[in-house]
Amino acid sequence: MRGKCGLFFESYRAEAAVFQSGFQKTCLGLFVAALLLSPWVLDSYFVSMLNLICIAVIGAVSLNLLTGVCGQISLGHGAFLGVGAYAAAQATMHGVPFLAALLLGGFAAALAGMVFGVPSLRLKGIYLAIATLAAQLILEYVFLHWESATGGSRGLSVDAPNILGFAFNNERRMFYLLFSIAALSLLMVTNVMRTRHGRAFVSIRDFYLSAEIAGVNLFAYKLAAFGLSSFLAGVAGGLWAHYTLFLSAEQFNIGLSISYLAMIIIGGLGSVTGSVMGAVFMTLLPEVLNGLSGAISDVLPNISQHINALREGVFGLVLILFLIFEPEGLANRWRLIKAYWKLYPFAH
Amino acid sequence: MKKMFRFAAMAVAIMSTLALVACGGEKKDDKAAAAKEIKIGGIIDLSGPTSSVGVPYSEGVKAGVAYLNAQGGIAGMKINFDLQDDAYNVQQGLTIYKKFAQDKIVAIQGYGTNVTEALMRSAAKDEITYFSASYSAHLTDPKTAPFNFFTSADYSTQARAALKYFKENWKESRKPKLALLFPDHPYGISPIQAIKDFAAEQGFELVGEANVDLKAIDATTQLLPLKEKKPDFIWCGGTTPSTAVILKDAKKIGLKATFFTNIWGSDENLIKMAGDACEGAYSLQAAAVYGQDVPGMKTILELTKNQPQMTHYVRGFVSMLVMGEGIRLAAAKGPVTGASIKAALETMKDFDPMGLAPKVSFLPTDHRPSMAVFLYKIVDGKLTFVTQETLDRKAEWLGK
Repeated sequence: MRGKCGLFFESYRAEAAVFQSGFQKTCLGLFVAALLLSPWVLDSYFVSMLNLICIAVIGAVSLNLLTGVCGQISLGHGAFLGVGAYAAAQATMHGVPFLAALLLGGFAAALAGMVFGVPSLRLKGIYLAIATLAAQLILEYVFLHWESATGGSRGLSVDAPNILGFAFNNERRMFYLLFSIAALSLLMVTNVMRTRHGRAFVSIRDFYLSAEIAGVNLFAYKLAAFGLSSFLAGVAGGLWAHYTLFLSAEQFNIGLSISYLAMIIIGGLGSVTGSVMGAVFMTLLPEVLNGLSGAISDVLPNISQHINALREGVFGLVLILFLIFEPEGLANRWRLIKAYWKLYPFAH
Repeated sequence: MKKMFRFAAMAVAIMSTLALVACGGEKKDDKAAAAKEIKIGGIIDLSGPTSSVGVPYSEGVKAGVAYLNAQGGIAGMKINFDLQDDAYNVQQGLTIYKKFAQDKIVAIQGYGTNVTEALMRSAAKDEITYFSASYSAHLTDPKTAPFNFFTSADYSTQARAALKYFKENWKESRKPKLALLFPDHPYGISPIQAIKDFAAEQGFELVGEANVDLKAIDATTQLLPLKEKKPDFIWCGGTTPSTAVILKDAKKIGLKATFFTNIWGSDENLIKMAGDACEGAYSLQAAAVYGQDVPGMKTILELTKNQPQMTHYVRGFVSMLVMGEGIRLAAAKGPVTGASIKAALETMKDFDPMGLAPKVSFLPTDHRPSMAVFLYKIVDGKLTFVTQETLDRKAEWLGK
């Protein structure tokens, strides 16, 4: 065993590197390789879970950029996802190639996000939350009533993605598409956070007045955060549309926005890894609870009805427990676990 | 350190439960392989906002399965019904569906509009026959929803039947006045255009419309302006809780009109929620109420051991009967697959679900199960059967 007792940087460049050690790179490489191979080993149900997780990861990391990094709370994230979904669906229906349509969806959502982000200059905290909640309600109304674009109450049928004649029409193919876009989004957000602009976002979050005094254009950067975050949300929405093949206004309700907020709180605000963990957790929790209640009702069939009702309560309870015992999210817990094993067996 | 252990213990606990769940799944599969049986999936709301009607509906479907199995199954095959809860959540419905699709299930008993619509394309792609309790008219058009079926007249047809009945029994010389109250929600909006068109055709005068939310706790704001326009008939397009709010507030402000609702707008619970305010309201249903004098009621009474159930229970039972008949027809012709059940259902002509619901027919180009609607009126706190109103199967109404 040869090694240093810590990471010592000799340049700022090394300190700001995304992957700071060879060990980390190897682990991540193995993890990604395992993920890439998994669709050939896992059955399609588990692959579909991975697919949903990939979409949730993009949505969560984009909200984390806005809320966790820049400190601007948004209760309208689900609706921005919807804007991207409808725009991308409309684009592919009009013959635009899938990837271009996805970008178009992103830009449409970015535009919507920036429009509804304008109040962020004047409003902070709970007031901004209410302003973005209004965005959610307005956009939901638009989804339901702009029939020519959204199909209104009848919804919109979407085709499976098709890139240069290659149709992504099964879970495995979808996984590679979703995984690569999710990986790109994670890389993008990680890199944005390392730039001067990313540091401007953080400075706004930490104290807006200092940021302004240091020369950060608050309005421009807040709008940029809304735009960038909504862009990625729109991409996630476009992917959701082409994955489920059907859009209706109900899919992008306030519940979706709240579940994305829950993801980043559970995962860890301001952390890319945390967004991933939160997305995984929130996507798998209902499945695990479902499996558990199924297992319990197999043993005790008489109480299965109560178990179903209880499940919703358990979901809420888990959130509360997280806020109390893991206020810094899963990402922080993961850091502590790593630190513990790094010093093993000589932990203090 | 202590925390560390706690965390490790938690992780172990989670892993072991996961393993348990996984084992449970495997055991089931072995059983499925051993006996000759057909596995049918259920994606129904057992929790969440619509569970108060989802649970009785699912009980009805389960009773249907028990009944068919007690008859010796279908073509010698027992039905294995795997009921899962989607909690009225599209994502959960989607994951349950993926599990079913992977298990090569041939048919699904589904439920709510949002999940049913979201799975419409997937069911068509995977060739899985999908029965729903969402009766949106556009699900009856095989061009958009080739594998979707249901056993009740769609929402638009239900409303048209009521309008026809009201018009036929209209004695005064002036035009009857109609007002619409519905939630601003896909479910509430879907029949509105059909109602407006048919009302105009039948000579109703539309005097007002307003939105009452599904979760409304007060409707006086919407009802007060209506009161001045003196409507004779008012459509309540929400679900039972919102109908109860409307009826109670209407009574409070002295608005007298004949209220009518679709299948989900009133049921046995409305009488408990609205008390005598619901007296005289019309309820449009597609299945008999508990204890009604129809041939199949004896079976229902036996299955439920005389414990009264909601009409949704009976409709769930009927849905399973019709699906069973589809499987039987398919089995008579060859192997039972999703596509063969679909093809068999499309040859179904006037199948009588033991008188519990109007006769069911499907066509390859038309998945409207029936054009007949049961009209009930709430008299002395009971859903009382009034008549069966049958409309023409007009081609231009398909999917609208």
